[in-house]
Amino acid sequence: MVVKKWKLEKSANCYNCGDATIHNIKVDQYHIKIRCRDCGFTRYYAFHMVDLPDKTD
Amino acid sequence: MKVHLRVFVEVENLGKAMNALVEAGITGFYILEYKGMSPQEWEGFSIKEDPKSAVRLIRDHANDAMLICCVVDEEKTDKIVEKVIESMEGEKYTILEVPIKRIIVNYKDKESQRAETWLLEKEVPCFYCGENAVQRIKIDMNKAKIWCTNCGAARYYLVKGIEKGEK
Repeated sequence: MVVKKWKLEKSANCYNCGDATIHNIKVDQYHIKIRCRDCGFTRYYAFHMVDLPDKTD
Repeated sequence: MKVHLRVFVEVENLGKAMNALVEAGITGFYILEYKGMSPQEWEGFSIKEDPKSAVRLIRDHANDAMLICCVVDEEKTDKIVEKVIESMEGEKYTILEVPIKRIIVNYKDKESQRAETWLLEKEVPCFYCGENAVQRIKIDMNKAKIWCTNCGAARYYLVKGIEKGEK
């Protein structure tokens, strides 16, 4: 399972500062990091599990 | 940048336009019912300027029409518009694309605003099926899920910690 790093953005109200700001979202195979561009508040997520469908071919 | 996409259609084509928009991947929309008139419909006539006459003219001659509005990502706009043009071939419609400078959303309930779920998309080859397909990302306060819209393979993440950063 090779997963390239993704860099995404999302405009949302920050959990910490409450302002409508842009959040940088970095996703890789094992981690997700979400950082408010304004106040720097960051949430970290760690890989938990994978759910794969049956391959038919 | 987000775009406010406005699609003006005749009332009988509402379903067709809505289906095209949904197929093209919009996530939500709102609809306004309105009375529409084109200048060529009263070409040669001059409208009496008293309010009563003007209102009567609208009532008698204007067509029932619908305005479908949605907010979309700028990069997705062309694809959505192409889909509408394809589905609405031969019909009367107008499409407006209006750039959005910023969006401010206010919530009544502070807590529900804080626990808001985010939905994002990224089109990349799937780690499992390998197809170049839209990968949907759902982020809650305590967990996140990324899944492929082609094969359904999903990865789950759990929140590990937070950090109060510096400005």
